[in-house]
Amino acid sequence: MNELQFLTWVRGPGLNIAVGIFLLGVLWRLFEIYSLGRKKDLSAPRQASGASGFHTIFRRSLPPPGMLKRSPVSYIGGYVFHIGLALIVFLFAPHILLIKNLIGVSWPALPSQFIDLMAVVTMAAMIVVLVDRINKPVKRYLSTFEDWFTWTVTFLPVLTGWMAVQHLLLPYTTMLALHILSVELLLVVLPFTKLFHVFTLFGSRWFNGQVNGHKGVPV
Amino acid sequence: MIKDDREFKSRLSALPVADQRLLAMQFVLRVFPLSNDMRLKNAIETSQRKGVTEAELASAFQIANTARVESFTRCGRETDWTAQAGHFVAKAAVACVRPADEGDNLAWDAAMSARMARTCETVATGEGTGNNEAEEQYRILEAFINN
Amino acid sequence: MSATLDKGVRVLKEVIDAPIASYFNSCVHCGLCAEACLFYTETGDPKYTPIHKLEPLRRIYEQEYTLLGRLKKMAGLSKPVTDAELDEWQELVYNSCTLCARCSAVCPVGNDIVYMVRKFREGMSAAGHAPEGIKGAVNRTVSIGSPMGVKLPAVQAQMKHVEADTGLKIPLDAEGAEFMVMLSSMEIINFPEYLSAIARIMHQAGKTWTLCSTAFEATNAGIQIGNSDLARVIVSRIVEGAEKLKVKTVISPECGHAYTALRWEGANLIGRPFTFEVKHILEVLAEFQEKGLLKTEGFETDKLTFHDPCQLVRRGGVVQQPRKLLNQVAKNFVEMPDSGFMNWCCGGGGGASAIEEGEALRLEAFKRKKSQLESVKPDRLVTACANCRIVLEEGLEHYQMDIPVVGLTEMIAEHLPESRKPEGS
Repeated sequence: MNELQFLTWVRGPGLNIAVGIFLLGVLWRLFEIYSLGRKKDLSAPRQASGASGFHTIFRRSLPPPGMLKRSPVSYIGGYVFHIGLALIVFLFAPHILLIKNLIGVSWPALPSQFIDLMAVVTMAAMIVVLVDRINKPVKRYLSTFEDWFTWTVTFLPVLTGWMAVQHLLLPYTTMLALHILSVELLLVVLPFTKLFHVFTLFGSRWFNGQVNGHKGVPV
Repeated sequence: MIKDDREFKSRLSALPVADQRLLAMQFVLRVFPLSNDMRLKNAIETSQRKGVTEAELASAFQIANTARVESFTRCGRETDWTAQAGHFVAKAAVACVRPADEGDNLAWDAAMSARMARTCETVATGEGTGNNEAEEQYRILEAFINN
Repeated sequence: MSATLDKGVRVLKEVIDAPIASYFNSCVHCGLCAEACLFYTETGDPKYTPIHKLEPLRRIYEQEYTLLGRLKKMAGLSKPVTDAELDEWQELVYNSCTLCARCSAVCPVGNDIVYMVRKFREGMSAAGHAPEGIKGAVNRTVSIGSPMGVKLPAVQAQMKHVEADTGLKIPLDAEGAEFMVMLSSMEIINFPEYLSAIARIMHQAGKTWTLCSTAFEATNAGIQIGNSDLARVIVSRIVEGAEKLKVKTVISPECGHAYTALRWEGANLIGRPFTFEVKHILEVLAEFQEKGLLKTEGFETDKLTFHDPCQLVRRGGVVQQPRKLLNQVAKNFVEMPDSGFMNWCCGGGGGASAIEEGEALRLEAFKRKKSQLESVKPDRLVTACANCRIVLEEGLEHYQMDIPVVGLTEMIAEHLPESRKPEGS
């Protein structure tokens, strides 16, 4: 297959398959997890403002007292690459166009030079957190194949997208096709790996905040 | 005749610290067999020596306190009431040698801890809750006052 | 699979619910939970990472409750949980975890790790892998009524002692009293001053109260070992006692886990809401304070700081009350770093102090509390949990730190006017 056929495939059938698996996978996994249910709490609640499941969904994005200095790379590196990914995915003109074609909604884009810078910063942050995972005893101890794999699967789309825009290494058509393929890989594995935290963190933070809010403790 | 704790407590608190230490020692010595930790005996005897220095007293206090902390029954462990009696003997000894200003009723605290030691002993032997440690302590105070 | 391992695995399957599934699927192996856990921070050993303590439970979850996990199991590609593994995990789940919940407070994806450890202990105890010290405490609780073997005669002995000390009668089984006061074994054995303080404070506040002869023990070893059936037995005794005496409020003593067990887990253990309120003694005192029923005189003038018992503050929600109460009787109360609901555990809760073989580890973990105290340099340390008190005293003694430890309720009682009246003639 030549580069144009490859690109056509990833844009067409490839995308359909990946998005299909992604959507079905997400729905199935959410069901698989949350249908387990939980018992009702019969103890009398304590009223306290600012302590609830919803509060924790937002508040838990901030480092709790004393934690930032214990692991600045985790927090700062984490914020930078998460925010970077979000900006790139949702505020880059070609991406917005794709979304517009898929669901009809669009919004203003950020300047592409800014996105370009974001991509470099994101990749740098991701490399920093990777190195931290290798160096820090606890992270190294906890890490399994899945951690290295999901890092790679998240890194590749940023790298290949940036390389495509920069016209690096391979002809644009091929680079673009690889970029789309890498995104498809990410979509397919997301629901079945730790990347699913994208969805479950809301539930987890909510449960945690709700249990503690019941006792009047704002976590 | 001292008849109740109200009178016992107020008489003790009216005494100067040095006299209180003397009485406290006597309260402790009565229950000392429930502990037999020689560190405690040495500590309280130190406190009675003529011309004992602040530093020596502080050192005696440290030793008695260590004995007290070591003899707590830990949360969740099986209670050995005999051993717990020893803990209260240590606590009484601590009251005897602790740093004190005038107005501190350390003799009363020593008396109360000594009574708890006796209570632990009677629980351990299954004799129930009654003992006459308090009355014996009244006699000790009376004897002291009458001298 | 031996009989008990089978039972343990079955129990673990049963305790898994939506929150636990959500937590396992959210974990991204960031390791921040370790940075919050004093057993890791003071030893540097990554095996004490909180989420790692749950690895066997995670595998059971994966193998039983996920499609991919079940497929892997059928294909023979998954690692089953074994007796040897649970044996290895005993130290991680009991000796090096006090259920302090700091990990749950910091996990960035929101995992409530302490909730999972509590559930995991159910399986560990069903599989026979709980430490001897706690097993003993549980057996004594069921057969004697108290984890430390305290029977009614011992309570009555203490009552007599306190009656002599205070000149007040201690009510026993007084029907219709407003408050039913619970004690923990620790207080009955080690701190008779607590009951004395209660008697005096209640007397001044003009409140009716009582002890209950069939339910004086608040400590719940069932919660600590992780055996809900036993935990239920203990709570049921208290509920029966409270309902028989028709009291309005049951007061949980200065014991951390007793509060968690009764206030938060109790109703769920017996399967129905309580018909009475449950309050920690500090909550009751703070209410008295607000209503003007807590009249005190004089102030402590030395520098005091407060150790927040984990089950009371972070896990109990009784955060401000100790501070309001302390400020009523102390002029120089200073907070230690990380005070309040992010304070560090004493290292002895959750049954840990009953585990003899865990003592060296606890003393190492105490370095965290030590450094907090070195930073604030108090003259004395105040707290409101009988177990914390002893663990703190032991730690301070070990590290040769001369800081006396006092209980908050006792301190308040010492400032009641009748305690300070000039004695005698």
